[in-house]
Amino acid sequence: MKISRFAKATSLFAVSALALSLTACSASPAPSESKPASTDGIDVYVIGGMPSDPFWGVVKSGAEAAANAVEAAGGTVTWLGPQNYDNLGPDAGKLVDSAISAGAEAIVVADWVPDAENEAIKRAVAAGIPVIHYNAGGIEQADATGALTYIGADDYVAGVAGGEAAALAGAKHILCVNTVPGSANQEARCAGVADGAAKHDATGEQLPLPSSNFGNPTAVANAIKAALTKDPTIDGVVTIGVQDADSAASAIEQAGLTGKVQLGTFDLSETQLNRIKDGTQLFAIDQQPWLQGYLAVSAAWQYAQYGILPASRPVLTGPSLVTKSNVDVVIAGVAAGVR
Amino acid sequence: MSKATPILSLKNVSKVFAGYRALNDVSLEVYPGKVLCLLGDNGAGKSTLIKVLSGFHEPTSGTLEVNGVTAVFKSPKDASNVGIATVHQFGGTFPLMSIGRSFFVGAEPTKGRGIFKRFDKKYANETAVREMQQLGITRVTDGDRLIGGLSGGERQASAIARAVHFGANVLILDEPTAALGVKEAAHVLRIIMQARNKGVAVILVTHNVSHALTVGDHFAVLIRGEKADDFAKGERTREQITDLMAGGEAMAELERELSTLTGTINQIN
Amino acid sequence: MSTQVKKQSVGFGSLIRRPEFGALIGALAVYIFFAIAGGAPFMAPGGSASWLNVAAELGIIALPVALVMIAGDLDLSVGSVLAASSMTLAILSGFYGLPTWVGIIAALLVGTLIGIANGYIVTKTNLPAFVVTLATLFAVSGLTLGLTRLLVGSTAVSMTADPTTKALFGTLLDGKFSVAIFWWLGVAVLVSWILYKSIFGNWIFAIGGDVISARATGIPVAKVRIALFAASGFGAALVGVLQTCMYNGAQVANGQSFVFNSIIAVVVGGVLLTGGYGSTIGVILGTLTFAIVNQGIYYTGWNADWAALILGILLLIAVLTNNTFRRLALSGGNKKEKKN
Repeated sequence: MKISRFAKATSLFAVSALALSLTACSASPAPSESKPASTDGIDVYVIGGMPSDPFWGVVKSGAEAAANAVEAAGGTVTWLGPQNYDNLGPDAGKLVDSAISAGAEAIVVADWVPDAENEAIKRAVAAGIPVIHYNAGGIEQADATGALTYIGADDYVAGVAGGEAAALAGAKHILCVNTVPGSANQEARCAGVADGAAKHDATGEQLPLPSSNFGNPTAVANAIKAALTKDPTIDGVVTIGVQDADSAASAIEQAGLTGKVQLGTFDLSETQLNRIKDGTQLFAIDQQPWLQGYLAVSAAWQYAQYGILPASRPVLTGPSLVTKSNVDVVIAGVAAGVR
Repeated sequence: MSKATPILSLKNVSKVFAGYRALNDVSLEVYPGKVLCLLGDNGAGKSTLIKVLSGFHEPTSGTLEVNGVTAVFKSPKDASNVGIATVHQFGGTFPLMSIGRSFFVGAEPTKGRGIFKRFDKKYANETAVREMQQLGITRVTDGDRLIGGLSGGERQASAIARAVHFGANVLILDEPTAALGVKEAAHVLRIIMQARNKGVAVILVTHNVSHALTVGDHFAVLIRGEKADDFAKGERTREQITDLMAGGEAMAELERELSTLTGTINQIN
Repeated sequence: MSTQVKKQSVGFGSLIRRPEFGALIGALAVYIFFAIAGGAPFMAPGGSASWLNVAAELGIIALPVALVMIAGDLDLSVGSVLAASSMTLAILSGFYGLPTWVGIIAALLVGTLIGIANGYIVTKTNLPAFVVTLATLFAVSGLTLGLTRLLVGSTAVSMTADPTTKALFGTLLDGKFSVAIFWWLGVAVLVSWILYKSIFGNWIFAIGGDVISARATGIPVAKVRIALFAASGFGAALVGVLQTCMYNGAQVANGQSFVFNSIIAVVVGGVLLTGGYGSTIGVILGTLTFAIVNQGIYYTGWNADWAALILGILLLIAVLTNNTFRRLALSGGNKKEKKN
């Protein structure tokens, strides 16, 4: 998930590259609008990432689409996001407490840092508020806090899908480039890639790149090139983010291995889609963030108001594999702001 | 004292910093070819006086005159334009620059024209070494050496040589001998006399009475921002000056206090 | 460069007293180390291209940053300047479809203006450059993110450079060597000339050595410092342009690693953190050292988790070595010249 990647990078560099706000206060809840608690409908509070983060911008669009139905039934949907990602876990915990004291009747929360957030989430559950985890934490954490369910992607499952796709396309030795080594999400993705590859007689290994290369595509590209040069048996590369995919594409070109080494990535961007369309990239793994926002808000509201809940636990929104066969419809989705 | 026009004079100068009176009604005169020694304990206002003379501070009240004409120094540049040069305790202030480069800081010699105009390192090095050798620093032969590699006396010499080379007619030396050994200090005093003999007016700031008496023509003693005494060579004994600098009453009090601990002051002596 | 007329000083004794000697040893040591550990692929043209490409971009930023540091300041804002300039180019020429050269000029202008703003704030407020440029680092990154999302609605913007600019800024010669290497050489020649041949260079050393004395000699201290910040902003913007042309687009999070990597390269290269001392050869060697370590580890087949550790140790050793050689330089070592 994108958020952990950014949080990691910012703390590592002691400069939060993406800290939007100049205000130092990071913990203050920032309800986008303050509405009087409605009497009949359900007031849903959503704890998510910074809306300025492109990934969360799409999640928020999904939540807003669901909010139409909530508001039609007389309720409200309020988005709470941290000012930055420097102190994500504690900040998110505080946002949960803010939602409780603001009179939330249903809470949707991303459990990024369970150790820091679960206590607050348990307080909400104990207060009788229906809680749904989404985007991060998985079903295990939902069980731990007593939340209703988990709605989102599973990094390991997504990795398996990527590993299988690369192996099925003929790759035998797949490199998973991890530019945020040590992050649980990315480690799970790369582990999934290796296991997925193993299902089809291929092997996967991880290339951890240190934070001193963060945000420098040249350093990342040349490191990938070095790995490809060092080990000519590598014939597949999977990256954890879209910019790394761009670097990997350049590395493959520099090593003179275009057409010989397959490329795939987690997450989506315009460049990836264009490459998939051109045939120089095999796939992109989408966790469908819009769906996460939409489904989580809908489910929380429906349960609080009518007691309706999806029977399958967890509800997985991904992986959805974007390949040449479906790239056109995805490109249309990006233009509409839902991908 | 001669009746010649002083090259630089202060008339009733006061300097107040945020309510604190660092200088109070100080008047001084400096003559070409003479050494004025400015004596005083730490905090007596010597540094403030130097900064007023060298253009870092403007006086709160009172005036400066250069060759009898009122002058206002808005910046150190104004002071150096009329030939006032200040050399600080550690002499060459750019320890990590070469002798040649630091000698010409702010007045770099160039050769070539247009975009080929460039720093003339050869000329700079040769000139710097030559000027220092003229002041008796014969050990220095390579203008590429770093200032920081010179001894304290050599650094003072390089700074004084620089000031003289650029036509300083008032040379302010701030504690030039404070950090030096006996031999080096003597060398610096000799260089001061050389500058004096060239007709430069020297203001020597020190709290070392012996050094002052060796080279001084005229003396002024500052106490808590005020001029406590002002006299020509031979008018006071060393003991009188030392007592005055030590600051009368405060010293007597200290002696009384000490005597309660150790007996009378004579026993200590 | 030394066309010394005085009796002097050829040979090992004077060589080890040059400020860049420590950096030279460091660069050679890491090269030999990785040549042994990495073997033929590291020494092949492709392997050399790896660290040269990384060094070139870092060097274009590190050289002007070195000038800033020799003058006693610090510029931490380069990371955000890189992002801002590459975004400017990508948005103007990619999103709005203006000619690439318009975007490039605007990008370089943005970088230079941010540098001028840094210099202006530093000289007007007398705040430490560390604080001011740290503030700019944040402010500019926020501004870039905010404006990009406002204008484009995304944080990644793609751009296709026209063939001429692509050839000038974003191609790989022989499929391996980035054109950035030649830009780096150009910047190195220019910066060397400024530092050693122009009187401006003497002012830089003087300001870094003692800013009060430098002002007293009539050097326009504020103007010099502003110009140096402008140069550092320009350098970062140039790398932003190079990367945008090379990778056909820009991301708002780009460039942050250059903030510390440029300072590492400069310090390993023997520039004194407190100013007043340093050389361009040293900075070039420091940049190469950093790049060789940064890339060399991937040719060894070892777990790359250790790369940052090696870098940290190297930095410490480099600074200690530099201190030793600087002491040697200051000692002058002139036993032979006793005359009186």
